[in-house]
Amino acid sequence: MRKKKIIVKNINKSFKNKVVLKKLNLDVFESESLSIIGESGSGKSILTRCIVGLLDYDDGSISFGKLDNIKTLSDKEKMNYMSKFGILFQNSALLDSLNIRENLKFANKKNSLNEILSEVGLPQSILEKYPSELSVGMQKRVGLARAILKKPEVLILDEPTTGLDPIIARQINLLIKNLVRKKKITTITVTHDMDSVYEFADYVAFLKNGIIEWYGKARKINQSKNSSMIKFIKGIN
Amino acid sequence: MTRLLSSALALSKRLFNLIFSFFYSIGEIVDFFLDCVKYFITEKFYFNIFLKQFIKIGFNSLPVVGLTSIFTGMVLALQSYTGFSRFSAESAIPNVVVLSITRELAPVLAGLMVAGRSGAAIAAEIGTMKVTEQIDALKTLSTNPFNYLIIPRILAGIISLPILVIVGDIIGVLGGYLICVNLLNFNPTVYLQNTYNFVQFIDVFSGLVKASVFGFLITFMGCYHGFNAKGGAQGVGQSTTYSVVSSSILILLMNYIITSFFFRL
Ligand SMILES: Nc1ncnc2c1ncn2[C@@H]1O[C@H](COP(=O)(O)OP(=O)(O)OP(=O)(O)O)[C@@H](O)[C@H]1O
Ligand SMILES: [Mg+2]
Repeated sequence: MRKKKIIVKNINKSFKNKVVLKKLNLDVFESESLSIIGESGSGKSILTRCIVGLLDYDDGSISFGKLDNIKTLSDKEKMNYMSKFGILFQNSALLDSLNIRENLKFANKKNSLNEILSEVGLPQSILEKYPSELSVGMQKRVGLARAILKKPEVLILDEPTTGLDPIIARQINLLIKNLVRKKKITTITVTHDMDSVYEFADYVAFLKNGIIEWYGKARKINQSKNSSMIKFIKGIN
Repeated sequence: MTRLLSSALALSKRLFNLIFSFFYSIGEIVDFFLDCVKYFITEKFYFNIFLKQFIKIGFNSLPVVGLTSIFTGMVLALQSYTGFSRFSAESAIPNVVVLSITRELAPVLAGLMVAGRSGAAIAAEIGTMKVTEQIDALKTLSTNPFNYLIIPRILAGIISLPILVIVGDIIGVLGGYLICVNLLNFNPTVYLQNTYNFVQFIDVFSGLVKASVFGFLITFMGCYHGFNAKGGAQGVGQSTTYSVVSSSILILLMNYIITSFFFRL
């Protein structure tokens, strides 16, 4: 039995006169892995930022478990709400005045860092380095480690494999798959990487023109009749 | 006739928008300030970060403030000699030097120097964190950016500026002393005694009050503009400019207001 965890209902979001999300509806189910795909600039990152509460939507509502419309939360409740999420930002967003050890301690003070480092394929020596001394791919993996270390209720990954070489990308995909399948963490992944989709997505949402144009099981993605999505998938494969 | 009317209408509309956005941004600044106060009272204080910023803003500004003060003291002695020697009042030079330095020049110059140095750095750092989503990341890591980034910086500014100004006072007086003793043949002991007997508590104190206010303005404006930076490197650059310009102007404005306040006392 699928249980709804996050309900996005009729949300609108525009900047000045640019409409990004247009009465968008989306349900995220507990312990499932949802992949959001769509062209660059279609609003995938904006949608996840709205879900996390970093960005206020114009109208509509987003509910999370028992919380009804997260826009109405007080400052304190909002902080509390955001801490339920572990987020890998599109550009990693590591704190660049702190070294990697301090960055990771931010997410979790108690856990040992050795295990998580080997899971994301990084050497110990990286701990004393600063984010600016790492490659983009390494930063991404530190960002992923930070998101996972929090032991979040919901994991949000904005393009976890972009900018990685195929071997590391595969390793990351397997790591996420493990989190999704074994630990049953609810996961929302924004991705351009169809390998990620095939590897660990349960469901897929295709975002275009401000709405979810197609939603369905990841296994059935190739049977879809939505022409723009077919084009999109073919285009990137 | 209608064209005249419509252009007048357009003009008044622009004017209205200008006034509106002016008051709107004042509202935003007040809002930001109230948030700072609220989170300062209700949430965690990061003492380590405060200490780091105190060293960055205070200790690291010592060379700059020292240099400006010593040259200002020296120039002050020379210039007042030019004037005072015309009516044989050279003996008043120590008094003029210490009065101008403590009441006016040390706080204002230190304020302007620190605004250029630390205010810009604060705006650039926080602005970069804003546009690269580091501030968003902080929020999702259960860390209030006001407590972690902004309040420690503002407090460091409020506390470190007066200390800088005390140092500046001493060095500035020393500058005047060096010129008077070495160049203008003043008696060293008399010069120092004159200075010491003449200066009053209120002179130094009013300078330190100014310094605290300037320290607040510099760090607050740096944080505010950084925190509201938008759109990449260009936005960060703009926020540094805004922060330096607005804090410099506010320093000069508040300098007048505080001076006239102490004038009435
Ligand atoms: N602060 C903003 N002001 C104005 N427009 C914005 C702003 N942020 C995003 N947009 C616009 O919203 C649209 C969606 O942006 P978003 O970052 O969500 O795209 P995306 O789907 O994540 O793309 P990508 O795959 O390239 O990351 C873009 O067209 C962008 O121009
Ligand atoms: Mg994006």
